[in-house]
Amino acid sequence: MPSKKSLHIESSGQLCIYCGACVGICPLNCIYLDETRITFDEKVCTRCEICVKACPVGAIEIG
Amino acid sequence: MGSDLKTDVLVIGAGPAGSMTAKWAAKHGASVLMIEKRQEIGSPVRCGEGMSKDWLPDVGIKPGRWVNVEVEGARIFSPNETVFEINEKHAGNEVGYVVERDEFDKQLAIDAANAGVEVRLKTAATGILKDDGKVVGAKVKQFGTTFDVHAKVTVGADGFESQVGRWAGIPTNIALKDMDSCLQYRMTNVDCDVRFCDFYLGKVAPGGYVWIFPKAEGLANVGIGVQVSQIRSMAEPRDYLDRWIAHHPAYSKGKKIDMVGGGVSISPPLKQTVMDGFMVVGDAARMIDPLTGGGIANGCIAGKICGTVAAQAAQRGDSSKEALLEYDRGWRARLEEKLYRNWLAKEKLCSLSDETFDKVVDALKDVKLQKLNVHNILKAVRDKYPEVTKEFEAFL
Ligand code: SF4
Ligand code: SF4
Repeated sequence: MPSKKSLHIESSGQLCIYCGACVGICPLNCIYLDETRITFDEKVCTRCEICVKACPVGAIEIG
Repeated sequence: MGSDLKTDVLVIGAGPAGSMTAKWAAKHGASVLMIEKRQEIGSPVRCGEGMSKDWLPDVGIKPGRWVNVEVEGARIFSPNETVFEINEKHAGNEVGYVVERDEFDKQLAIDAANAGVEVRLKTAATGILKDDGKVVGAKVKQFGTTFDVHAKVTVGADGFESQVGRWAGIPTNIALKDMDSCLQYRMTNVDCDVRFCDFYLGKVAPGGYVWIFPKAEGLANVGIGVQVSQIRSMAEPRDYLDRWIAHHPAYSKGKKIDMVGGGVSISPPLKQTVMDGFMVVGDAARMIDPLTGGGIANGCIAGKICGTVAAQAAQRGDSSKEALLEYDRGWRARLEEKLYRNWLAKEKLCSLSDETFDKVVDALKDVKLQKLNVHNILKAVRDKYPEVTKEFEAFL
């Protein structure tokens, strides 16, 4: 099985402004925003990178 | 486990569409619980804070201290910054008032509470309760305690990042071309004109626009929306906005005092907004105007219908899909035609070159438009730039 790329959401407040854009666009509904905490479901995420583009401030990185 | 609750109507999300739904359901005699996952209604703000105003009396909202300024109209700037002015009545649903959005949301929640709605903060839905395919409430979490809320009717009003609709089984996914990624600074010490909301079109904001919504003399919301399908690399909306500001001395001298972001759908509305025991309303139902990005008016108008139908369904003891379809038909009758028309117009506008934008705006500025409608716009364009008209044949 090919190993998945890693997805990192910078959610400590350095970059993320908790705007929810990524949550709304994720086709798999696997990002969760709880006030100032953002998490995603590692197992469900397909690394499609859609959220990376949708984030207005570049807080999501994939590599 | 906390103890489970029972209510006629459960509204998930306390934004404008949620509060409106809750208020009108309570006014029609239902017991209503409205839950909000955040600790403060209306905060953080995620929006440009512009709205039209002609619809307010109809849904029972009185202007209050949430109004910052009342503008005369909108100014549309083409890429070469030819300006076209439109008075407020014809300017679409983001122009009229510039508001303090958190105050506005709070006022609507107060109206709902005063109508008898029970409001619970820091209470998030974590799942939907179903019985034989019918939605019968939601699993919620408050202060770390999980419990069930049983409701005759459950309403998803959880905004752009809606998950409730998807959990219930209504497809709310949107295509990349049907979403704008938005960023906005509140800036002080800028030279804004409090008489106008300004919109800058073209390559400065592919598939969207740069907006200036004045909050007071010298204070404005300066924001951008960029179509996600046109974003090539990380943080592009911010880069576009910073570039635009750098090129406009009236704003580059300003100071940023606040920053908000968000996603805005610019899609046609959902094909399905009800199922057995469940309705979805507002941004969550993709009711945002795809041309202007304005969602408050549509969310409130639909919310009133949604709340009314929810109360009737609860009282009659029939919250089947068939019964709730009255809401679906009701909001479509009010909003759908315009949403589709504006979605088509948006699709067209997103494909125009900067040169074409310049010509269209230039043609418009010469004409004293009696009535700003598609027909008159096309006529103005045809008279001055016949070669451009063929781009718009589909609308004739
Ligand atoms: S990479 Fe795709 S699937 Fe994974 S969180 Fe982002 S949008 Fe969702
Ligand atoms: S889109 Fe970016 S800034 Fe917004 S919540 Fe997601 S990671 Fe944070």
